[in-house]
Amino acid sequence: MTVTAERPAEVTPRRPDRGPGSRADGWIRRAPLLPALIFTIIITQLPFLFTIYYSLQSWNLVRPGSRQFVGLDNYVKVFTDSQFRQVALNTVLLTAGAVIFSMILGLLFALLLDRAFFGRGFIRTLLITPFLITPVAAALLWKTVLFDPTYGLINFVLSPFGAGQTDWISTFPLTSVMIALVWQWAPFMMLLTLAGLQSQPHDVLEAARVDGAGTFAVFREVTIPHLRRFIELGLVLGAIYLVNTFDAIYMMTQGGPGTASANLPFYIYQRAFLGFDIGQSAAMGVVVVVATIIVSTFALRLIFRSFSGEES
Amino acid sequence: MAEVEFDQASRIYTPGAKPAVNRLDLIIDDGEFVVLVGPSGSGKSTALRMLAGLEEIDAGQIRIGGKNMVGVASRDRDIAMVFQNYALYPNKTVGENMAFPLKMRGVDKAVQQEKVKAAADILGLTDYLDRKPRALSGGQRQRVAMGRAIVREPQVFLMDEPLSNLDAKMRVSTRTEIAAMQRRLGVTTVYVTHDQVEAMTMGDRVALLKDGALQQFATPAELYDKPANVFVAGFIGSPAMNLFTLPVGAEGVRIGSSDLALPGSLHSRISSAGQDTITLGIRPEQWAVGGDNGDGAGGVKAQVDVVEELGSDAFLYAHLDDEKQTPVVVRSAGRSGARRGDQIALTPTSEDLHLFSPETGERL
Repeated sequence: MTVTAERPAEVTPRRPDRGPGSRADGWIRRAPLLPALIFTIIITQLPFLFTIYYSLQSWNLVRPGSRQFVGLDNYVKVFTDSQFRQVALNTVLLTAGAVIFSMILGLLFALLLDRAFFGRGFIRTLLITPFLITPVAAALLWKTVLFDPTYGLINFVLSPFGAGQTDWISTFPLTSVMIALVWQWAPFMMLLTLAGLQSQPHDVLEAARVDGAGTFAVFREVTIPHLRRFIELGLVLGAIYLVNTFDAIYMMTQGGPGTASANLPFYIYQRAFLGFDIGQSAAMGVVVVVATIIVSTFALRLIFRSFSGEES
Repeated sequence: MAEVEFDQASRIYTPGAKPAVNRLDLIIDDGEFVVLVGPSGSGKSTALRMLAGLEEIDAGQIRIGGKNMVGVASRDRDIAMVFQNYALYPNKTVGENMAFPLKMRGVDKAVQQEKVKAAADILGLTDYLDRKPRALSGGQRQRVAMGRAIVREPQVFLMDEPLSNLDAKMRVSTRTEIAAMQRRLGVTTVYVTHDQVEAMTMGDRVALLKDGALQQFATPAELYDKPANVFVAGFIGSPAMNLFTLPVGAEGVRIGSSDLALPGSLHSRISSAGQDTITLGIRPEQWAVGGDNGDGAGGVKAQVDVVEELGSDAFLYAHLDDEKQTPVVVRSAGRSGARRGDQIALTPTSEDLHLFSPETGERL
């Protein structure tokens, strides 16, 4: 005789008034997290609210008694300020340039390191070192040791070819800062893509070779798709960090000449602590935060999607 | 389609150490299905990868269709390989995976589609062509890997344990499918497995390797009936053959406390070899079992430790009543009533017992 199991009736969960699962119980569970939440609000959200408040004031520290409520006046000034637009463009160029070039370099280094050779560990350590140097020290190194028109190594090396008279930092201020940042960030990109390369299953590469793919075809058809999410992660993390670059600019160019190499954080700093225009700089800060939230929402969605979706 | 020839082919990872594949000689006929089998570390996968161009050929030659493959890249060998973990391209759909070898050869798009569709029809993958591999079951992935090999229409198929990630039932059905497909396509196939059942059921011929060296290359029946040495005898057959190293007496050999009379023909073979000890191999089904009641007089006494009842027959795992308590496996009829602790008397039934030299392990 065959016995057929009866299908169990649908069970609908019911929220109890008391005990596990009730509303009170939920709060009891969450309570231990509250101090952390409150602390986070105090150190991040309160300053932001203050900033919004300041951004609605005309308030210059060198003119005592000038403080008054001006509504959105500061914001209108921000958007009509051509310097602000120039600096915003600088920020985009600097961030995108530094991130993209350091990714290209990092990927090249990773490809070179993704094989066994004598002294690999040593060379890998050497290649990572720039990332471990304090940003201020790195900027100083580039400014004085390498880019300096009189004592710099670059001009020294170029002088036999008759091209050693350039004052690199004042001639190409934004590019100089970008080069220093690329030098520091390429190792980070290298580490990420190297991790990606080494997590690549060998049999898939072998299958591609047996299937008739040459070295470049294997790279294009198999390696790059595999590395995609590692590259995306590197680009997003690098951008998040580099958009806030301050130390390199401060040390190398002071944002100059004029605002030629200033980015938004540096420009806001200048307006607040050199121009003492609290209202203006607060408004700029708010604009930057809003823009950052918009951009980072898309960027983070991108990495979360590629990391949850591609995992097999 | 081509003949494949291993000519003293060797793979030496560390100079001076024992080679992973040691002077392998195999001649595989056109259209033949050859299985390389052996325990872990026997060099069977290495041999296959040498043929695929994924490992160097350090000495000797491997020829496909008469052409020496030393120094020839994988892509130029006109082979297709199925990997143990399938090695599908995770970012490509099933259709793109199967079309990839064609794409790499610059085959026209329309022709690619046509061939992929034909292969998908054979393998029952038509509904899955737009899926990514991660959305497929293990069996389906295995089929995609097969499909990718088939669309190539290569000279040789190479398969590296393609069934080991499937469940038992799937493995049995896929086993027959692969064998049938190979017969239909008539493509020379080299198949690696550690499973002797796969080796015996699939191969036209089976090459058994151990420690990088070929032990025997023969049809499955010959491997079973005439194992070339002790290792082959112990490896092929499940449960394994009983192997005893025994002193030779006047009429037979001495097992434990009893003399085991051997059939005349066997005994004359022993005397002619002039050995005073001999390694005797008796398959589990080559025993007749007698009980305590005396119908096994003259047989070897043993005590049953475990009974494996399989329905159609039963395996008795017993030990002899000698000092070493030598284990012995016996196949008896199903439901024979034997139980743990029973005393049994065993008599060899067949004249085709296996004799090996105790020193060299070679068949006498």
